[in-house]
Amino acid sequence: MLIEIKDIYKIYNEGKESEVRALDGVSLQIDQGEFVAIIGASGSGKSTLMNILGCLDIATYGTYILNGTDVTDRSDRQLAHIRNREIGFIFQGYNLIPALTAYENVELPLIYQGVSIFQREEMVLHALERVGMADRWKHKPSEMSGGQQQRVAIARAIATRPPIIMADEPTGALDSKTGRHVLEILHALNQEGTTIILITHDNGIAATARRIVRISDGRIVADGTREEVGL
Amino acid sequence: MKIGQAVKMAAKSIFANKARSALTMLGIIIGLAAVIVLVSYAQGQNLAMEKLYSSMGTNKITVYAYTWNGSNNVSQALYDYCLNLSDQVVGFSPNGNVYSQPTIKYGSKTLAPASHSSGGAVIVGGTAMSTGGENNYPSIYLGNEQYGMCNDYTIANGRDLSYLDVKNGNQVCVLGAATAEYLFNFANPIDQTITINGLPFRVVGVYAYKGDPSSAPANPEDTNSWVDQVISQMDQMILLPSTMTRYFNNNQPIDQYVVKVRSSEDLRPVITSLKTFLSGIIDPNSGSFGVNSDDVYKEQQGDATAMQQRFLGGIAAISLLVGGIGIMNIMLVTVTERTREIGIRKAIGAERSSIIVQFLIEAAMICGIGGLFGIGVGYVGTLILGKLSFNTILIPSPGITAGAALISVALGVIFGMYPAIKASGLQPVVALRAD
Repeated sequence: MLIEIKDIYKIYNEGKESEVRALDGVSLQIDQGEFVAIIGASGSGKSTLMNILGCLDIATYGTYILNGTDVTDRSDRQLAHIRNREIGFIFQGYNLIPALTAYENVELPLIYQGVSIFQREEMVLHALERVGMADRWKHKPSEMSGGQQQRVAIARAIATRPPIIMADEPTGALDSKTGRHVLEILHALNQEGTTIILITHDNGIAATARRIVRISDGRIVADGTREEVGL
Repeated sequence: MKIGQAVKMAAKSIFANKARSALTMLGIIIGLAAVIVLVSYAQGQNLAMEKLYSSMGTNKITVYAYTWNGSNNVSQALYDYCLNLSDQVVGFSPNGNVYSQPTIKYGSKTLAPASHSSGGAVIVGGTAMSTGGENNYPSIYLGNEQYGMCNDYTIANGRDLSYLDVKNGNQVCVLGAATAEYLFNFANPIDQTITINGLPFRVVGVYAYKGDPSSAPANPEDTNSWVDQVISQMDQMILLPSTMTRYFNNNQPIDQYVVKVRSSEDLRPVITSLKTFLSGIIDPNSGSFGVNSDDVYKEQQGDATAMQQRFLGGIAAISLLVGGIGIMNIMLVTVTERTREIGIRKAIGAERSSIIVQFLIEAAMICGIGGLFGIGVGYVGTLILGKLSFNTILIPSPGITAGAALISVALGVIFGMYPAIKASGLQPVVALRAD
């Protein structure tokens, strides 16, 4: 079991009148090599779930076991380490650093990992080639189209060769053609063994996943194949 | 993350935001330049005063002793007393001044006080120097064979007054360098005769320049520095044997003396001894006396200068502090502006310490680069100010420079700390949500 969460709650303003339960007792298991789409309406809690799965946020209650180790109460430093080595993130808004070139953006997680400059060059170029952006390595985000930026973001996510990739609405800001291309890259990565967790509100995109988890009001309401979930 | 990487990242960020970085640096540049220029100015003033005092003669005590009956006994008694103090006192001379401004002639050249006689005398540390009248008009002093030594004049040509010149009342004189140059140009003044109020005096010697004759303009009042003016006026003098007093000042006895002691430690004991001695021989009802030293005055002056230096330093420190707060301000804005970037960096695995180090290095680099420019501006400013106020090449001391540079980097680190710590503590998800 790669990912296992048990009774995860994320509660804002707990005990007050304005209490919000973004996640209301979620339990989920994901195996290595799976391609899971998490779907739900906006405000359903799917992004909160991804943030907790990605160690970008901390659950109010519950346990999270990643790759056999409990990461629920890890320090800031250890969480940074996990995010760096275990997980690659792809965001809806690309989240590239505007002042840096494509090359430098992809290089960043490798720098934080402490990879030597010679190894870095090879790894960065390999990642950029993988998404077809090797010829644009010198460009800054402002000099690239949305699709190109997202491809660079994917290159950054895969540069450290993490076992898990989490993508939060990766096609949300793209036209359908480039969106499809991005999806193809994710599927290709999955073919090679990378576990993909894809957050989307687009049923058409979710339908390409082997397993679909539907979330509503902070609870999992359906979990299974396309047919089982009813897409 | 390695420091080298952090430095590279910081440099990238600084150059990616040129305008903002430049504005931040401006605060440090102005602050540092102000510190360097102001402190150097105060030091330059110190140096100028040092130069003045050493030109006037060091370890020198000025004695004023006067009796109503005008007896000459005081002079002899003082002379004898000083001989008794010979292990502390190395020289003694009357220090008379001809007040009547007689006409001085050599050949076709005449030195006479100008009729408008605008100024009186400027008193610096008890020594009177004429500034009024014609600019080349010399002060005429009455002294003995030790006068030159007591006042730190050295003979450049010929000889000094001798004991016999004084004892026998020989009509001889020693000229200050500027006066000799004016009267004789390039001719040898030795054994030539000048007249003072018609009385002939044979020139036996010429003193060396105290000031710098090449930098002294023809009219000393044209110099920018009053210190240079005063020093160049010291070269405009004529020394006569003290016994010549009978021809001048209505035959009033000389009431000023100069005593030279061996070292500065001897100053205060000798001043005390002289005061005790004079109070024993001068009845306050029939005369008065005073014992003073430029060096004691100089110590007081030194205190005043130190105070001024602290004052200027304080002003400069405030400007540096304001520059530092400017850095903190801009770093805070930077952090707020770049919260999203910090979120991204944390999401892809930056540890908290990496973020802190990055921002700290960025602040330190901005301050360091600003500091270098500030030092440059400070040097140029100091050179200009030194030329304008002291007519000399004034260079900030390495200590001040190093200190200022260190302070500027320290400011960056101290003021960059707060926003860096604030930024690094954010949860990645919170930081990512920022616009």
